[in-house]
Amino acid sequence: MIQYTVRRLLIAFPSVLGVLIIVFLMVRLAPGDPAVFLAGEFAPPETIAAMRTRFGLDRPYHVQFGLYVGSLVQGDLGRSTRTQRLVIDDLRQFFPNTLELALGAMVIALLIGIPAGVIAALRQNTWTDLMVTVGSLIGVSMPVFWFGLLAMLYFSVQLGWFPVAGRGTLAHLVLPAVSLGLGSMAIIARMTRSSMLEVLGLDYVRTARAKGLQGARVVAKHALRNALIPVVTVGGLQFGQLLSGAVLTETVFAWPGIGRLLVDSIRARDYPVVQGSVLLIAVTFILINIAVDLIYGFIDPRIRYD
Amino acid sequence: MTDGQVPDPVAGETMVVQREDGRRQAPRWLRRLRRSPIAIVGFVIIGFFLLVVAFAPFLAPYSPLRQTLRSRYVPPMVGVSLRGPEGQFGLWVRDVSRSSAGELSVGDTSYPVRFFVRGERWTWFFGLMSSDLRLFGVDGPIRFYLLGTDEQGRDMLSRIIHGAWISLSIGLITVAIGILIGVPIGALSGFFAGTTDLIVQRVIDTMLAFPGILLAIVLVATLGTGLTNVMIAVGIAAIPVYARLVRASVLSVREREYVEAARALGRRSVPTLFKHVIPNVMAPIIVQSSLQMAVAILFAAGLGFLGLGARPPQPEWGLMLSRGRDFLATAPHVATFPGLAIVFVVVGFNLVGDALRDALDPRL
Repeated sequence: MIQYTVRRLLIAFPSVLGVLIIVFLMVRLAPGDPAVFLAGEFAPPETIAAMRTRFGLDRPYHVQFGLYVGSLVQGDLGRSTRTQRLVIDDLRQFFPNTLELALGAMVIALLIGIPAGVIAALRQNTWTDLMVTVGSLIGVSMPVFWFGLLAMLYFSVQLGWFPVAGRGTLAHLVLPAVSLGLGSMAIIARMTRSSMLEVLGLDYVRTARAKGLQGARVVAKHALRNALIPVVTVGGLQFGQLLSGAVLTETVFAWPGIGRLLVDSIRARDYPVVQGSVLLIAVTFILINIAVDLIYGFIDPRIRYD
Repeated sequence: MTDGQVPDPVAGETMVVQREDGRRQAPRWLRRLRRSPIAIVGFVIIGFFLLVVAFAPFLAPYSPLRQTLRSRYVPPMVGVSLRGPEGQFGLWVRDVSRSSAGELSVGDTSYPVRFFVRGERWTWFFGLMSSDLRLFGVDGPIRFYLLGTDEQGRDMLSRIIHGAWISLSIGLITVAIGILIGVPIGALSGFFAGTTDLIVQRVIDTMLAFPGILLAIVLVATLGTGLTNVMIAVGIAAIPVYARLVRASVLSVREREYVEAARALGRRSVPTLFKHVIPNVMAPIIVQSSLQMAVAILFAAGLGFLGLGARPPQPEWGLMLSRGRDFLATAPHVATFPGLAIVFVVVGFNLVGDALRDALDPRL
């Protein structure tokens, strides 16, 4: 197991390197002077010159890349050109809020998606099934920001049930988490339904039924446990999608997370912050994928790591 | 093989043969598709969408850019009634305007809405079509707004109709970039395996490490904002999806007998790849393309919403929606209708994608 974990981390290494290269190139390939991007549009010439020397911007790319990675390893992500704050401090402040939102969305997606999928599978080809299927189709087809706006309009502005925007209490979390989680909920419901249908047709479920077990017990103990294995994978991958979906949701609800930070920084051409946030989201996504692989082995003993 | 199909020894797929009555029978996947209600609904939606794109200026009552500042934020259907002044049936409209204090006032005189009226002159399809005829319009000196107006007093209905063209082109260009670059990369990677495959797969892994819309955002941040860059960015983001898909299919097709047969006959690798392997991985590509259209439209709308995509005054649905955010409480229709248009079209492409998958790949 430990051996597998280490190997899995090593396999992820090229991806992390690739992400670093892309983030590195973002500033260099954008039309304009990278030194200005890193120092800020209105920075004094000395600061711009300092950036040029520090990142070796007049030297070949591989040297520049070495310098960039070198500073990253020391935890130096640069300073925001807008606020002059250290990028790492910005990330520390905003990232936990995004995690909170994404976790909230995940919980909602699982709590509604799995039961909906199970019920649809148990009542295949009924109205309930059709409703779940149509609902999940609309769920994956709906822009999160549009649903967010409508939810805000109806539940916050008109009914006054939830605060309109911002972060703070649990009530602040409800609408953003629901709108962010909707797409994942739809995908999880779909996955649970098809996985459940497959498992319900298998021999051991029929055996369990044949030996006289009650329906609910067969479903809970025999079918669901196995049906959920692929759902875990999908759910894990969805968590990564939620991190990027948060970019839109956070903008709608003025949620102080890393997605909104990223969008604001792109608009302001604040490249150090853009680089830092992109790097953090991508690396988190890679780590989540590794975690999903490992969890997969825990819950399905048929998978061996060798 | 009772339904008129025999396996083609070289292509490996079934081919169509003549039935006894001499008529050609449609392939099995097409017959399956015709029977599927999902496919019918999906194709109807997409057909409607394509009609709207083709005849946008004829269907739209006004130009999408024409501002009328005295009628800003007119709610939908205001001044519109189904009865005329003397009780006659039909669509009758009255003038709507906003005073400088923001009060909405409706005029006294009713004018009928008629089919095939002459209005502002329009050109379409890069100047190929030009006319002043419109499907419907008000017979009188006023303007009417079935879906209301936005912050510049522009007709929402006309803007949504014209926005269809933007969504379609984003979808098509994205899919084209994804196919033209992603398919060859995936095919070569899967067919030749070895070092090429290893390197290509690491590049694909890297691209896929940016979840969802993030890769497109990264590319837009690099290339700059604007509609063209959004198309390129969303298109590049589709490349790894196609490459992965095609590689997986090629890996499974590569070892089939007919490919081996082609090799044994001494055919060279690349022609074999194009002649025998790629045609047999077409099914997943077609399915993915329909689903990818849906994703592309959602992504582009998302970027437009974030202010990183289309620029004002382009009638892009995501951008229009974002303009409605600031006046959500007073003019909710500005955010509502473009969103409905997005959902409608995206549902259409998702349905067709699902139906094609069911028809082309009965194992799923």
